[in-house]
Amino acid sequence: MATRWPGVTPYSPISAAAAKLAVAERGTGQGRERERGRVSAKCQHYPPVRALQASAVLRRVSDEHKKEPFTPSSQQQFDTHPAGHQPEQEPQGPRPSYTGQGGQESEDYESEEQLQRRILTAALEFVPEHGWTTEAIAEGAKTLGLSVAAAGMFHSDGSELILHFVSECNAKLSELLEKEQKLVQLGEAEKKPTDEFLRDAVEARLRMLIPYIEKWPQALSVLLLPRNIPSGLSLLTSMIDDIWHYAGDQSTDFNWYTRRAVLTGIYNTTELVMLQDSSPDFEDTWRFLENRVADAMNMSSTASQVQSTGEAVVQGLMGAAVTIRNLAGLNQRR
Amino acid sequence: PAGGAAPRPCSTQAAPQGINKPVIDRIIRVDHAGEYGANRIYAGQMAVLGRSSVGPVIQQMWNQEKVHLKKFNELMVAYRVRPTVLLPFWNVAGFVLGAGSALLGKKGAMACTVAVEESISDHYNNQIRTLMEEDPEKYKELLQVIKQFRDDEREHHDIGIEHDAEATPAYSVLKTAIQLGCKAAIFLSERI
Repeated sequence: MATRWPGVTPYSPISAAAAKLAVAERGTGQGRERERGRVSAKCQHYPPVRALQASAVLRRVSDEHKKEPFTPSSQQQFDTHPAGHQPEQEPQGPRPSYTGQGGQESEDYESEEQLQRRILTAALEFVPEHGWTTEAIAEGAKTLGLSVAAAGMFHSDGSELILHFVSECNAKLSELLEKEQKLVQLGEAEKKPTDEFLRDAVEARLRMLIPYIEKWPQALSVLLLPRNIPSGLSLLTSMIDDIWHYAGDQSTDFNWYTRRAVLTGIYNTTELVMLQDSSPDFEDTWRFLENRVADAMNMSSTASQVQSTGEAVVQGLMGAAVTIRNLAGLNQRR
Repeated sequence: PAGGAAPRPCSTQAAPQGINKPVIDRIIRVDHAGEYGANRIYAGQMAVLGRSSVGPVIQQMWNQEKVHLKKFNELMVAYRVRPTVLLPFWNVAGFVLGAGSALLGKKGAMACTVAVEESISDHYNNQIRTLMEEDPEKYKELLQVIKQFRDDEREHHDIGIEHDAEATPAYSVLKTAIQLGCKAAIFLSERI
């Protein structure tokens, strides 16, 4: 149930090129020269050897690849999906734009996106050992029965692997919160107070990092690369929005922004504390989290106290002014 | 919708699946901002002209705008739409516009009403057209709401005309200026 992230699609040229090569090799002589020409135009940013490796992978996956002309445009279609796109709204099957010219699809047809996701999910198992690198992706591809050349489909700094991991964690968190909410609606569980809800949600999400905690600093630094900032940021904002939504936030004014900004701060600082925490089961981190959430609650109650005090002061001053006016006789109508 | 007495009405099932999220987002965000602004404009007008002879008329129009705002608050939560970040600004700007136009007299306030309501009904018509082009069946409920509100705003416009809005000094200048401001507000609220 991974969410798509906008902006991360440098591979349509490769995959389009690779798939074109795969088909061109099978195609008629007439089409061949034209397709090669198109392929080399699109390959200008990437070494051609990657295209061949990728085509080897793609050929292994499915015999009937008919999607090449549509891949670039469908990738662009994915780009326009907004950041806050709900996981539940992802179509489950292959996208209709992939139907080939004949309008036929094979039974076990798998889109490139789905293949990439499968490889990355398999690669996560090897991350604690190899880090967020091409080696982990290659190992993952091996477990799926694909050639290690499949790792050539991805960037060498592991960006896609990390983004995939983050979006998988966010999807898991949404599922968890949805389940909890159903229990409350059915009356089988108590509604949690807001601070406890936020604490539990952030803790649940951060616990997903525990198996990868050794390599997580590396992941964070990759996420800060300019190329990855839009996607990373949109994943973060949609996660925070999800947590507030399930916490029951219904604000439609500027509070909407304040709350999300505060929770983002809490999440990020707790994440950083977690990276340096060596206490058993990260107790120190959860205590830090509890204190920050309590601070946030205090802040909001302090803000409303300040406002009501201010209003009371203004009323007092108005009352004093009216009294003085009356005493000075300025209120008389002559 | 989430259902009758849900303890915490924040289910994601409230928003229907398969909608064109970016388009609906924009529509609801800008309409919410518009109704919020309209509320503040009437509040400003009431602050100045509340005790005059047009006070009850303005109050009645203001009450209708409050109903509109409430509806958009509900839609905003149901579709999980982000409110525009410019809300505090529209808060002040709306009040200033309302109070300012009211200081020009009763006719001035009515002229402001006419200008704003005309902008808003054009804007709602555009949205209705957009939604009809997309899929009238899928967006039936939203279309109904917008059509109803457009009719209400038209009514306000007509009330303004009835109360001699056009007799305001510099009526066309005032009207053009206000409508330009409305267009800018709509443009910004859709995006930010």
